[in-house]
Amino acid sequence: MPVSLIVGTPKGAAILRSKDRHTWEEDFVLRGWPVTASVRDDQGRTYIAVNSPNFGVALFASDDLKNWKQLESAPRYRPEDRGNPEHHRLIAKEDFMGTLKGGGRFVDQIWTLHFAHGVLYAGVSEAGLFVSHDRGQSWQPVDGFNEQPGRESWAPGFGGLGAHTILSDANNPNRMWVGISAAGFFRTDDGGKTWQPKNKGVNPAIDSAPATTGQCVHSVTHDPKNASVMFRQEHRGVHKSEDGGDTWQVMEDGLPVTELSDGHHCSFGFPSVMDLKSGSVFVVPLDGDNFRFPRGGQLAVYRSKNGRSWEPLTKGLPQNCFTAVLRGSLAADQMSPGGIYFGTASGVIYGSDDLGESWREVASGLPRIMSVEAYAN
Amino acid sequence: MSIRVQLPPILRPVMGGERFLSAEGSSIGAVLSDLTKRHPALALHFFNEGGAIRHNIVFLHDGAMIRAKEAAARPLKPGDEIVITNALAGG
Repeated sequence: MPVSLIVGTPKGAAILRSKDRHTWEEDFVLRGWPVTASVRDDQGRTYIAVNSPNFGVALFASDDLKNWKQLESAPRYRPEDRGNPEHHRLIAKEDFMGTLKGGGRFVDQIWTLHFAHGVLYAGVSEAGLFVSHDRGQSWQPVDGFNEQPGRESWAPGFGGLGAHTILSDANNPNRMWVGISAAGFFRTDDGGKTWQPKNKGVNPAIDSAPATTGQCVHSVTHDPKNASVMFRQEHRGVHKSEDGGDTWQVMEDGLPVTELSDGHHCSFGFPSVMDLKSGSVFVVPLDGDNFRFPRGGQLAVYRSKNGRSWEPLTKGLPQNCFTAVLRGSLAADQMSPGGIYFGTASGVIYGSDDLGESWREVASGLPRIMSVEAYAN
Repeated sequence: MSIRVQLPPILRPVMGGERFLSAEGSSIGAVLSDLTKRHPALALHFFNEGGAIRHNIVFLHDGAMIRAKEAAARPLKPGDEIVITNALAGG
């Protein structure tokens, strides 16, 4: 079965297609647009999120990965919504003309797109959740999330205050999760009307941060059909929950534990993904938040087959590698055996068609890779 | 009156690759309004949440560089051309 990869970069999207997962055809579309996320709906339409500091945030859609049409609507806050000053300060390097000085709340990036139960969701920064019931033709803010009590305590991570992870329960449309850097992980059980922080057992990113909403979640993965078993790559290490996020336990047996800038030691990294057929989970650890490259320069993906411990996978991956793998840049094609793909901050895509046992270079020469999604079709 | 508008390269894919568009209006603000009526997908790019022209957009008209906050009222005459670009950064 053919596989397509949608690779987001600051200069456009690489579209990689393969019939055998060995040889790949490459196209580069939406040239000039920073591409930050993509998703495919249940009718085969692919959506790509773009943003520009000059011309704003938008979405393009395609049914064939060749012809892309911009949607007329995109997630937008109301003019009267007030923004987070710390988020403004962090993204102000692109505020050439002082847009942010008025204190408004703006969607400056779509961090993730998610499709579930016939509905399209967007997680954005400044942190918020938006929903579309008409395939992106119109977008509405999820006020239960965006205006929830406690929002005033949310603090941004290094990349701003962004809602970058959306997960859903295939068996319960009223239950969803959203992750925010650096306000932690939230769950709704009533279809988005109310949300509760789900960070018990996870240390805040810095010791002085709020105990309930000071966590710096980097990514979370699970099987939507067995949704309560979750794996969470946090600034403060990898954690597992077996109760839908109510409680979390550290799970770093076999992972490299490195030093953070504040002296704590943990398994630092950003992306995580699950191969749904085998239940295997994959992460890409980095050498703490000081260095943010693979420990010792050995690029390595770590896999957990049993949900308890991890093993390194390095066959075909380079040594003397001092790049990073960003939050959205690890994907699984959900074929059998599972195909796993990731992109580096130095513009290389690696792929495995044997559940990570061996890797080969799929593409290189790309800009910094911000997102990778894989689709079997 | 018809005004010729040159789009920046990044917005041309929005219009199927077109570099130039035509619109009616006696000011830059009126031309942008007419453009977005004809091509609604452009509205996201020209206007912010409050309906103002995005602050980083710059217009070139009649040898002058017009910043967003002065652009809406900038008068145009028949046959004029405006170039839509953005605040420059780099070096």
